[in-house]
Amino acid sequence: MEIIRNVARHKLRSFLTISGIVIGVLALTTMGAMAENFNALLNGGVAYFGQNVQVGPPDGQSAALLPLSKIDEIKAVDGVAAAFPSYGFQAKPGAPPSFSFGVPDSIVAGDPAENDWAGLKTTFASGHQIDAGSSGQVVLGSSISKEFGKKVGDSIDLPIRPVDARPDFVNHSFTVVGILNVTRTAPDNFAYINTADGQMLLKDSLPIAIRDQVDVSKITQSVDVYAKPGTSLAELDSIANRINSQVTGVKATKPSETVNAFKSGGAIFTAITTAAALLALIIGGLSVVNTMFMAVAERVREIGLKKAVGATTYNVMSEFLLEATLIGLVGGLIGYGIGAAITIIVNGTTPPGQSTLFLLTPALTIFAIGFATLLGAVAGVLPAWRAARLDPVIALRNE
Amino acid sequence: MQGIRLEGLTKHYKRGGEIIRALDGVTLDIEPGEFIAVVGRSGSGKTTMLDLLGLLLKPTAGKLFIDDVDTAQLGDRQRAQMRARKVGFVFQEYNLLSGLNVLENVMLPLRYVKNGKDGKQHAIELIDRVGLSDRLKHRPAELSGGQAQRVAIARSMVNRPSIILLDEPTGAVDTETAQQLVDLLKRLNREEHVTLVLVTHDTDIAGQATRQIRLKDGKVLTDEKVEELVPVA
Repeated sequence: MEIIRNVARHKLRSFLTISGIVIGVLALTTMGAMAENFNALLNGGVAYFGQNVQVGPPDGQSAALLPLSKIDEIKAVDGVAAAFPSYGFQAKPGAPPSFSFGVPDSIVAGDPAENDWAGLKTTFASGHQIDAGSSGQVVLGSSISKEFGKKVGDSIDLPIRPVDARPDFVNHSFTVVGILNVTRTAPDNFAYINTADGQMLLKDSLPIAIRDQVDVSKITQSVDVYAKPGTSLAELDSIANRINSQVTGVKATKPSETVNAFKSGGAIFTAITTAAALLALIIGGLSVVNTMFMAVAERVREIGLKKAVGATTYNVMSEFLLEATLIGLVGGLIGYGIGAAITIIVNGTTPPGQSTLFLLTPALTIFAIGFATLLGAVAGVLPAWRAARLDPVIALRNE
Repeated sequence: MQGIRLEGLTKHYKRGGEIIRALDGVTLDIEPGEFIAVVGRSGSGKTTMLDLLGLLLKPTAGKLFIDDVDTAQLGDRQRAQMRARKVGFVFQEYNLLSGLNVLENVMLPLRYVKNGKDGKQHAIELIDRVGLSDRLKHRPAELSGGQAQRVAIARSMVNRPSIILLDEPTGAVDTETAQQLVDLLKRLNREEHVTLVLVTHDTDIAGQATRQIRLKDGKVLTDEKVEELVPVA
């Protein structure tokens, strides 16, 4: 109680000191939430690409087209347990470019059975998986379903017709059979269709000059290759090497290269954002040091008296440390509160279909408030030590 | 043996190249329940003696026994504990904490002793005994000098010490208030059997103690029972 009174005794000074911590924690919360959001996106990539080998056309080939027959060759490679054709298209062709932390809306075509093998599992908020052998069915990710206001049973034309579409623009009507739960990564912006429908969209996307000469039922854009569950990243790399050496006309990418690219991107972003926020917070911490030194200077006689009536060095030190810790805790709680409010408001006002900017996690909450509290305590160590070491005889007669 | 014994108690300071003999080989026995006035000119060693008795200073030489405990053998923590349990302080400038009310100021020493939390009732009784039961929630700024010093006296007694050290307790109040404070001290000394060691320049105040020790240049010049000073008619 006395500690709270001591902090409240100099209202303006305490307000300014706590404000320093508030600004630091506010920065840490918002920047940290941005980094958490980005990392969640990248972690999805790590989970997905860390569990399979991506096989595409060889370097130098302009079009992402492979004969489906390559899948049989790939399946013959030692260690390969399954291989699926994969197709990807822009869901909103011709959309103006915009900056976003998420992936663009995309149409992904493949075998629904691939979900059983994928490292990043998706689950259904409503509806069900595309029926085997069906056509004209689509499963929407959580963001894309909200963007277009679709629910199970609705129909959606894919790709989305651009506002300035040419007369020969072609799209097709699909029935929504499932809506996925939020993953906070790529699938949120995906529309999943089956292989046959993917081949239909592939044909639509080919140049008119070759469109009728290509049998799209025998072509894929890429192949997702899986080993048996539990296979290590190093072993997947070996499988990629074996595919490259045994199957001609394809390029298998080592999953470790993709995973490392995701991880290093996330680490750099986290380092930049967190360092900026911590810098702000440490500056706030210095103001706590200054405030506590002033408090010690003002309360020299009080310290002397407390020692005279039996306070030990530990007692005096802990009183000042608690005071500094309280400043850190109050600043941390207020800063986190404001930061959390900002992230919630900004996320809430993000237009449907655009990726939200922030992700508040329990770890970030504990880190932001805990770090501010710890910073307050650390900032109080030197002033508290000085207070505790005061000679009571001199302190009692201090003018 | 209960009480306090000083054996050749010495405190020297170095100031530049010069050694200041603030207290120089003082030997005394203080019996429980005595009311002692320590007098002498400025620089005679009165306050140094008080600081040594209160374990705020460590002697350069000599020994100090409090209730048979050789205080030289105590570590800092044990000295603090002995200060909390055995010694009470009253200062000229009251030294009340402005952020605490009267009751909280009186209860302050309870924080630093084990089982001190149940001393609240005792603190209230002491405040009543010093005549301030209607000022429990008042802040020091709302008290007169005499009232503030009475709060300080109550604070000095809250841990039931065996000795109270008073450094010019009447120095900041008028004569009438000073006499009221001395009357209060005499009453507490008589009723509680607590030892009082009072440093003062005021001969009238000193004359009301049961024993008077006069210091000069850090040594005991005279040590007399006050009754002995009174001429027999």
